[in-house]
Amino acid sequence: MNFALARAVLVRCLAMLSTLAGATALSLLLLVLAPGDPIDLIPGGEALRPQLEAQWGLDRAPAQRYWHYARRVAVLDLGSSVSYRPGQPVFGLLAGPATRTAARVLAALACAVVWGTALAWWTAGRRSFLRTAALAVSIAPVFLLAHGFVMAANEGAFAAMQSGWLERPSWFALPDEPSPLRTTLSIVLLAVGSSALHETHAQAEEALLRIRSSVYVDAARARGAPVWPHIARNLIAPLAATTAERAAFLTGGVVIVEKVLLLNGAGAMLWEAARLRDYDLALGIALLAALLVGTVRLAADATRALADPRLRGRA
Amino acid sequence: MSALRVTAAALAAALRRPPITGVIAVLILLAVVLAAALSPLGGYPIGADVDPASASQGPSAAHWLGTDHLGRDVAWRLALGSRAFVGPGAVACLIAAALGIPLGAVAGFAGGGVAGTVRFLIGSVASVPRLVLILLICTVYGAGPLQLAVGAGIAGAPALAEAVGTRIEALRSADFVLASRAHGVTLPNLLLGHLVGAATGPTIARLLLATFGGFVILESTLSYIGGLGVPEPNPSWGNMLVFDWGRGVSLSVIAPALAIWLTVGATTEAGKLFTERHRG
Repeated sequence: MNFALARAVLVRCLAMLSTLAGATALSLLLLVLAPGDPIDLIPGGEALRPQLEAQWGLDRAPAQRYWHYARRVAVLDLGSSVSYRPGQPVFGLLAGPATRTAARVLAALACAVVWGTALAWWTAGRRSFLRTAALAVSIAPVFLLAHGFVMAANEGAFAAMQSGWLERPSWFALPDEPSPLRTTLSIVLLAVGSSALHETHAQAEEALLRIRSSVYVDAARARGAPVWPHIARNLIAPLAATTAERAAFLTGGVVIVEKVLLLNGAGAMLWEAARLRDYDLALGIALLAALLVGTVRLAADATRALADPRLRGRA
Repeated sequence: MSALRVTAAALAAALRRPPITGVIAVLILLAVVLAAALSPLGGYPIGADVDPASASQGPSAAHWLGTDHLGRDVAWRLALGSRAFVGPGAVACLIAAALGIPLGAVAGFAGGGVAGTVRFLIGSVASVPRLVLILLICTVYGAGPLQLAVGAGIAGAPALAEAVGTRIEALRSADFVLASRAHGVTLPNLLLGHLVGAATGPTIARLLLATFGGFVILESTLSYIGGLGVPEPNPSWGNMLVFDWGRGVSLSVIAPALAIWLTVGATTEAGKLFTERHRG
């Protein structure tokens, strides 16, 4: 790793940390701006008043409250759940589910980029019904795709069981049972639905067309050399940019996928936190989501800098 | 007035010779907006519309899209369900525009420390995924159409600010800007009319349509999952879709699913009218 690259990564790391600090400040601002006393907003909050006042530092000025929270976050203390699992530390509640959710997001991100690129490789520069088909499927919201798929699977399996063709299939897992089918489905839906595949395909196709018509590809073709290594290497930087851009989108989408497919994860937990108005839990998940997005963007920037020396000085 | 005139001319130029898919998309969006505006005038009795005698019927003259398993008219509920996202979606677009455009204009035109501060603010909001931010707002302020609209507006502002800021920064020293200043065009007119309106008007229109499409997805998803969206018996396309769940494939399920898909697709296609490709 040369000096320019190391400097670029370091600057991006600092930028990510400052952005996280800014996101935390804005999130805490929401609580400060809430009308009246935030404890009034919580069902049964009056009984927990002394604990919540100490936890949120309500007797202090907003800046002091922020400093108090930031110091706690630095030692991985994200507070305690108020209504989701009353009294339990948020970090302990989140550790397992957040890891599973992050794995789902990263897998879906990889699928979206790989499938979008493969599709673009086929459709770039030609009229193809695949482009229209991918657009038609991909614009459907994730929950609608999940609904359609689960309904088709249920109706089909039910009809097959009624006619005696099929015993109760092993993938008919109950909500609390681990289900490889549901996990795979969640990744596929996240990678395809709500325009995820359409966007990655469109961006990969645009990059491919630009690269294929470039001078160095023409030169390689004129020499009789294979052109795909040139195309593949020059595709890395735009694909890394696409990955960075889609990271936040898929991190939001995983909330819906986990709720619709009844998967345990930080996304489903955020939904419950919003429903039960468990502020510390919701804020903890928002912080981890911002951290995941920031880390993916950082990795994407480092990849772009490695792939394209011209980008190293532009941290 | 000059700013408005220049903006209108830029949008009209972007819409010249639109592709047929774009025209169909605009017609679908107009139909949805009209349905939301006019359906309350029909006097359909929401909450008092249960009719077991006509449960799960197919299409007929009395019920154009049939009925659900409680005998409620699917067509009326579909039209009334569009109110759940048209009004709040428009409010979300207004909030996104009111926050994003001025912040982007300042970041792009001012430069220096001011631009740095504004970009840091934009980056901080953008670092939290949209849905996560909206759910965080629902946690603090409760769930309702206004909270969702405000959340979606705040979450949509960074994309607008970034697009406007990047474009204005690139044009800050362009010849036409210097010429306008030399001809005595005032700074607000230059910024609002020539830079924001003419140069970024089509981009803003496309991003606002995307914000609206995002709100359609958000609202229907929240109502579909339940707990944070529109509760029964009030209709929403999301809760209509889930209401007849497990009762086989019928129009009461297909109609809201198709309506959501068409509306979201229409916002995507209508947005393409404002991209560079169609402007030649």
